Amino acid sequence: MQMYLPSAVTKQSEIQIAINEVERNLAPDVVRIRYEIGEDWSGQWAIFFRIVLTDEAARRRLREVAGKVVWGLAGQLDFPAMGVFAYHNFRSVSEQEVLQEPAWA
Amino acid sequence: MGLAADLLDDARHLAAKGDAEDRDSCRRRAISTAYYAVFHLLVEDFVANWPFADQRARLARMFNHQRMRDASFTPKDKKTPTPVEAQVMDVITAFGQLQGDRHRADYDMGWKLVGTDVANAITLAETTFSKWHAVQSNDVARDHLLSMFGAKR
Repeated sequence: MQMYLPSAVTKQSEIQIAINEVERNLAPDVVRIRYEIGEDWSGQWAIFFRIVLTDEAARRRLREVAGKVVWGLAGQLDFPAMGVFAYHNFRSVSEQEVLQEPAWA
Repeated sequence: MGLAADLLDDARHLAAKGDAEDRDSCRRRAISTAYYAVFHLLVEDFVANWPFADQRARLARMFNHQRMRDASFTPKDKKTPTPVEAQVMDVITAFGQLQGDRHRADYDMGWKLVGTDVANAITLAETTFSKWHAVQSNDVARDHLLSMFGAKR
């Protein structure tokens, strides 16, 4: 039996280009964006973005900056066509310094 | 206030308590409650338009979380959605995000929650309330709510 893989798996260079552009456009608020493709809680394919923000952006302008990140990525990547649902999670530089999670580094 | 608005208020209180007492359980409940606030916002809106008041609770129970998340929506012009379509897309994205976060908050004990996760859930729920209230009477929004209920095109 063949395993289904979403087309997002074969479009990782396209995804990285989009990420680079969003990082550039939203600097310095957006420090870096990491991602992985996998199954979510319901077994559906998903792309999980992990976005590190400056402390100031996370504390004072989260709504504005998060919205720009979500729209910036969705504007360049057609998630439904890629067969994935996009999740975006945010944390500040200080929070990541405490947790030291490699997936966010 | 309706249940949805009360839940949003509860989510804010839980978030504040989680911060004040550094309690992970309150932070998790805040995220979970923020999702349920948005869930009930949409369900309440749908059933409020059902003319038989005594049947509304039963109708509300027909909503299925995953089906709501998976209801498809495509703007007429993908590159340039209308303002209403853009608002509906924001509601859809926020609903899916909150649902995923709710699941992790309730079941994934390995999730290292941070304050920004909670703040983002509350913020997303608040903006979803505003956006939905702005478009809820529009045909595009009503049509999508019907899809979330499970109606096929």
